[in-house]
Amino acid sequence: MIPIVVLTGFLGSGKTTLLGRLLRHPDFARTAVIINEFGEVGLDHDLVAVSEESFIELKTGCLCCAARGDLALTLEDLLRRRAAGTVSPFERVAIETSGLADPAPILHALMREGGLAAPLALCGVVATVDAVNGLATLERYPESVKQVAVADRLILTKTDLGQTQPGDLSACLAALNPTAIRLEASFGNVDPARLFDMGLPASLRARDVPTWLGSDVHTHASFKNHPAHLSCFTILRAVPLKAVTLTLFLEALAEHCGGDLLRLKGIVNIAESPDRPAVIHGVQHVFHPPAWLDRWPSADRRSRLVVIGRGIQQPWIEALIDAIEAEVAEVAAGA
Amino acid sequence: MSSELEVAVEALLAHSLDAWRVCANISREADGGLLIVAADKRVHIARAPPNLPFRWAVADAERTRGASSVTGVLRHVRAALDPNHRSVRLRIEPLPPASS
Repeated sequence: MIPIVVLTGFLGSGKTTLLGRLLRHPDFARTAVIINEFGEVGLDHDLVAVSEESFIELKTGCLCCAARGDLALTLEDLLRRRAAGTVSPFERVAIETSGLADPAPILHALMREGGLAAPLALCGVVATVDAVNGLATLERYPESVKQVAVADRLILTKTDLGQTQPGDLSACLAALNPTAIRLEASFGNVDPARLFDMGLPASLRARDVPTWLGSDVHTHASFKNHPAHLSCFTILRAVPLKAVTLTLFLEALAEHCGGDLLRLKGIVNIAESPDRPAVIHGVQHVFHPPAWLDRWPSADRRSRLVVIGRGIQQPWIEALIDAIEAEVAEVAAGA
Repeated sequence: MSSELEVAVEALLAHSLDAWRVCANISREADGGLLIVAADKRVHIARAPPNLPFRWAVADAERTRGASSVTGVLRHVRAALDPNHRSVRLRIEPLPPASS
């Protein structure tokens, strides 16, 4: 499987600088790059040193608005050229979004059946945040809030400029997305091993799951001053869930939250599979089937669901699961 | 209404009204059902009669709808009280096999 990493971040937050640095690292030489620039003249292409044949600039429009079909075609074309040997045998794909892009529709497109050619799979999202202007950007631009909220890794850039407000920004990022791992990039340098170790939901090993879920988060955080009203919280359930409970829960979640569900990821103790937990991952109403781990990553066998959304209330989610569980138990008891 | 399920359904409906920003009151009726009263709507939720192929009956002034699960109850209640909501169906999209 070839992992796809989405690199997002607001205008001027250092995405291209970061990408350029990463691609010079020997471990990331075999990376195909797709850059989505939204403007008359693309400049990013010139700023990223990468082999020409595995570099593609998508200038037909913003990926989150109108050009998602172009992305799928571009990925298919890359795979065809890889199979034909006309591009180097890349081992991963990095997609740099435009700075104004809402990442949710892009993730949505990458998860859809037919949206991706067979061996490609979304691996994770990296978002850059400007340490100097990031706080003001987050206060003014809803797109930047969503970019931060859906990320698996947050990269604080421009920390070398000396005019930063790391404390305030850090608190803001923690409120928006407490599960993402935060890293600092000075002059665009960041440890690549920490950046792309997110793992694929379908191929996660047990030991990778805590990292993928984002440390052991038991918190509820919200950013209610922002018009986007984003919140992130973790649902913990000690009692294993029946498979049908999980199905009904996800159906109801999609039905009632839809586009407000920016992301859900979790590890679930399924009653019918006590030794092999299920890993679930969804964006908006689109989910992948559960991936089954060979074993539990730790002695903690509680189900953990990380929910990132807009206006989604934790008590409602808890009450929904409680009610479905109670009904499934009643039906099982023959009532 | 006193079973664990019925208590859970009442709690779910109360949280749902809050989540949907619907101004309404929920109360338990003498027949054991739940009554939700909003500004211009009344919705009654009760166990379906045993001769029907449903577990629940959700009634408003216009009609009574059957529901086979609490998620169905939730769907009918929202349709009655929050008609502008556009529901979305869950889509499961397969991943390529890890070995490919």
